[in-house]
Amino acid sequence: MQLVGIDPERLTFYNLSAAQGPRWAEICTEFTAKIYKLGPSPIWLALRRLEQSKISSVNHTA
Amino acid sequence: MIVGEQKPFDEIWEMVKGHRQLTVFGCNTCVAVCHQGGNKEAEILASLLRMRATQEGVTMDIVDGGIERQCEHPFFEAAQTLMEGSEAVLSLACGIGVQFIAGKYPSTPVYPALNTTFLGDVQAEGVFTEKCQACGDCVLGATGGVCPVSRCCKRLFNGPCGGSTDGKCEISKEIDCAWQLVVDRLEALGKLDDYEKIVPIKDWSKDRSGGPRRFRMEGF
Repeated sequence: MQLVGIDPERLTFYNLSAAQGPRWAEICTEFTAKIYKLGPSPIWLALRRLEQSKISSVNHTA
Repeated sequence: MIVGEQKPFDEIWEMVKGHRQLTVFGCNTCVAVCHQGGNKEAEILASLLRMRATQEGVTMDIVDGGIERQCEHPFFEAAQTLMEGSEAVLSLACGIGVQFIAGKYPSTPVYPALNTTFLGDVQAEGVFTEKCQACGDCVLGATGGVCPVSRCCKRLFNGPCGGSTDGKCEISKEIDCAWQLVVDRLEALGKLDDYEKIVPIKDWSKDRSGGPRRFRMEGF
């Protein structure tokens, strides 16, 4: 992930059995909070920049 | 089998970033065994390249595919449409596959995603070691099945040299002395007398010294 400029903290592997529902919910909650704290991914930001440049290009043409 | 290692990602990106369309093409035999060049790795590399292209603001249509072997014509039939529609190809095959594509599609740029490293075996999961240099004149019958060409750092035919200590090579403590292995093996086979036989000068004309080699089967 570092190769493409993404913080490896954005990915974590967990080993859980199907019987560990409560633990799964706990992990999801914790991980969601962690991702919120890290903010948008660089890929998301790059795609947003691309969309904005397309919009401004269309507006400019119009 | 042929062992390869993926090139550094930045090197790959620098080679392909100028194209608007790229096919990332896996080879699902030798280099798939060492988890470097199979169809699965092609899919992963294509994803990485898409993410890199997005971040760099480069518009590039990246598709991935692959075949069982990039060194034989029949296998390409399944990928004919894909290859003919490619502006450029990033091949995850060994150097043979890359050259095969270059010869088969003369107007399509092809880039190597791997460094082809050696002919080797699978010692353990994820561990590959060199065992053959395709010298064209196999001596394994005389050396107890241990190759002095690929496994002795000096390619000695009447070893060991003075750099052999406790069964290890002077180059590295991680490298076994090939000639110690030969002696151990001959002893185990009860053929230690063979060790006393002087191996004559090898005919290197059958190796690369004789130029690119060719083998043609009669009857084909």
